[in-house]
Amino acid sequence: MSSMGSVARLELRRLLVRPLAWVLAALTLAQLAWRFVLLLGNFLDNQVKLAGTPGAPGYTDLVGIPLLGSTLTMGILPFGLTELALLVVPLLTMSTLAGDRANSTLPLLASSGTSPAAIVLGKYFAVLLWLLGWLALTVAMPLSLAHGTHMDSGKLAAAVLGLALTLAALGAIGVACSAFASLPAVAATASLTLGLALFTANLAAQKAGVGNGVWNWLSLSTHLEALLRGLVSSADLVWFALVIVIALALAIRRVATDKERG
Amino acid sequence: MTLPHPLLKLDQVRRHRAGRPAVERLSLTLDRGQILGLLGVNGAGKSTTLAMIAGALKPDEGRIELDGQDFATHPALARGLLGWLPERAPHWPELTVLEHLQAHARLRGLRAGGLKQACESTIERLELAPLLRRLAGVLSQGQRQRLGLACALLHKPRLLVLDEPANALDPVQVAALRKVIREEAAAGAAVILSTHLLAETTAVCDRVAILHEGRLRHDAALDGDHAALEHTFFEIAMNGKDQAA
Repeated sequence: MSSMGSVARLELRRLLVRPLAWVLAALTLAQLAWRFVLLLGNFLDNQVKLAGTPGAPGYTDLVGIPLLGSTLTMGILPFGLTELALLVVPLLTMSTLAGDRANSTLPLLASSGTSPAAIVLGKYFAVLLWLLGWLALTVAMPLSLAHGTHMDSGKLAAAVLGLALTLAALGAIGVACSAFASLPAVAATASLTLGLALFTANLAAQKAGVGNGVWNWLSLSTHLEALLRGLVSSADLVWFALVIVIALALAIRRVATDKERG
Repeated sequence: MTLPHPLLKLDQVRRHRAGRPAVERLSLTLDRGQILGLLGVNGAGKSTTLAMIAGALKPDEGRIELDGQDFATHPALARGLLGWLPERAPHWPELTVLEHLQAHARLRGLRAGGLKQACESTIERLELAPLLRRLAGVLSQGQRQRLGLACALLHKPRLLVLDEPANALDPVQVAALRKVIREEAAAGAAVILSTHLLAETTAVCDRVAILHEGRLRHDAALDGDHAALEHTFFEIAMNGKDQAA
């Protein structure tokens, strides 16, 4: 196992022994289960109407994908996974590096010959593993009824890919904020603000009737929405990759300068 | 047979901290089996020097060589070669003592059987068995020092860097610490320890270096004369204060 693997294992252990990760998982999954039941209820109530409409949306469109994000439904239902992620990811990532800095354990990692890249990536992959597990448990809800309905697996797979990339991007932003902050609370606030700004950057443009401008391109929701609709385009994938790479590169740079700053 | 290079060599090392010089043009060497005591009043630059030797801080100028290689260009040398106990023994409060040992062993490249053996021998050596399941966050300062020392010793480093290792230890634990330091040196490791306690230095070190205001003011072998060392130390410390005033 590389030094990055050792850091990832250490970080995952720290994540799993703290109550925060378990409380967040329990509360958010309970809320998502409630949303799932409400979506399913609506779907069953409208069965007759849907059956008589040619080309009507099915189980995937009305239950599976809205569970992951409410950007398409905009209903008054409880939050989808995307909206919850905007809050959960900052809370999970806030201690990754800021906590080590506050505990004075970051120099210990540096003195073990572990490179700044291995420290940052190890911590990032540990958080990402937790987030992907959270996504898997959420997706298991609509999948549990797949045998009794007609599931559009391609569309659901595109949506899951979109959510996985969203979690990866928010996780990278959270780790970067944690790298720059001296206290976990500051990191969480910065990460939440950045995530919300990135998610809603296109709102003003949309209200002004601009659908294809810079603000639309900058916004996370623009790229996620396409994937939630089942459209996988390389432009969207590149956007997510860019955000992840830039955030992690900044975090690595910041940890590397810790040796110089002292 | 003489070895071609010392285990540790500092050459004209400088470092600023908080806008003031913390270490000024420091040069010293340390050979295998030597125990060097780094003495100085608070703020003399001891912890900064040790953090640079441990690879946690980068010198602004100068060069640090470990086993003949430039530490700046080979930072991974620290992995197997160096063990560091920082001041106040930092830890992850949510992990148990055993989890700390395992994590440090993995970070130092130990795996499977080697990891288990290293942990077991260190637990036995530092009598950590009763503490294994305890969270590091609830340990006393003395217990945390022992845990920090165990983490520094796990991988049998050839250079042991100890920053105020006797802090918060009771007299029995201090005696055990001295025994461990002597055993490490006897096994061929070089040990550098910082302290502001003269008795600590005379008890275990065979060489002493005195830092004052970041500069090396004294570097000589110890002849066991506690009074002479005390006189030298106070002369440097008081003269330094006079000059500063």
